[in-house]
Amino acid sequence: MASEPSKSSIFPRTDWAELGKAAAADEVLLDRLIRLYWQPLKIYLVATFPGLKNQADTLLQDFAEDKMLKEGWLRRADQNRGRFRDFLKTSLRNFVLNRLNLAEVKNPPISMEELEHELPQPDAPSEEFDLVWARTMLAETLRRMEVDCKNPGEDQPRRSYIWEIFRIRLLEPIFNDAAQPSYDQLIDQFGLKSPTDASNTLLSAKRIFKAHLSKVIKEYAGQDAATAAEIQALEDFLIRLAKRG
Amino acid sequence: MSDFDSSAAVFKSRAKKLATLMATGEERAKLWRPDELAAIFRHQMSAPMLVDLGSFDSRTATKLRTLSEAQGLLLKSFADLFHHPAPPIELLELIKDFAKANMDHPESGLPDEIAAALYYTSIAAALVRLDVRISHLPDADLQRGLRWTMEQAWLDEKTKELLAKALGKVSGGQKGAVS
Repeated sequence: MASEPSKSSIFPRTDWAELGKAAAADEVLLDRLIRLYWQPLKIYLVATFPGLKNQADTLLQDFAEDKMLKEGWLRRADQNRGRFRDFLKTSLRNFVLNRLNLAEVKNPPISMEELEHELPQPDAPSEEFDLVWARTMLAETLRRMEVDCKNPGEDQPRRSYIWEIFRIRLLEPIFNDAAQPSYDQLIDQFGLKSPTDASNTLLSAKRIFKAHLSKVIKEYAGQDAATAAEIQALEDFLIRLAKRG
Repeated sequence: MSDFDSSAAVFKSRAKKLATLMATGEERAKLWRPDELAAIFRHQMSAPMLVDLGSFDSRTATKLRTLSEAQGLLLKSFADLFHHPAPPIELLELIKDFAKANMDHPESGLPDEIAAALYYTSIAAALVRLDVRISHLPDADLQRGLRWTMEQAWLDEKTKELLAKALGKVSGGQKGAVS
């Protein structure tokens, strides 16, 4: 996005250079986000265009490199970003439709049967997309938290076993139905001073988890208010889904 | 230390577990199990008041000691005070303030649930034993708090009875004198 400003540009030369740098950084971020959320995007693409299942990865690759997507993303940077998930889905759908239109022009004629086969499904249900999106987001959050806690460079006492206490006391019981160890057991295992010491360590772990959760979501949601709204939306979605069984 | 593949765990789990994980971000939620809270509450109720309340300041510690001794009773623990037939109102107010300070303090070592239980129990003791209201909470809020405390599985029966009597007084429109 480092095109030279035209003479009629309202931006002074130096500002355009700055914008170019920011635009380049945003492109890198957008590319990273698409690759991180590849799986839910593929699910959406295949659900919307079932006939293109075998070309899904190629289409997504092209989509990630699409210039129009990048321009749309940068325009959104100036506005309230709204739901990034919706933006990606709409952009992907339009991208594929555009591709289909181009294919039709290049290789006429196309039979009605073939055309109908490639027409998008009427607003394919996004529940699976949202679920895989949530999983991707949470997996990335935990990955970053573990790396962070185990980073020997971190200048915080006892950070190395914050992850372990978080894993043993919270993650294993949640995901593996493991018995939740008592704080007395944690005191023995980690040489802590008291149950309060143990609970304060767990509290630190929760704060680190929340910080990484917010950071992962903020990378695509943008502003703090949008991040908070997205966290609530995802939580509400998961609770709703959980109630259905 | 075993290897825990967090990514695999997340991707194989159903929505309920994912929702539980997201709720983990709520800081002080579910830090303690009910059996742990029961042990902490028992400990807190039997702990010498002088240790906790005296930590406010030296003037408070002196006042506390004076009030306890003036009763001619060995008012040593929170349980002694709450279940005494005529507890000094100043002591109940001190406990209420101590509990509130812990509830409001993010770094407090006392679990929020325990602090809340002490808060509402002190108000309940004043209502039941002295027919005095030491709180300016609206009736609805007080009822809610008393009810919440009573519903905690880790609370002992004697304290639950006290709270039930207090709830009856508030629900029955008996406000008591306001201190």
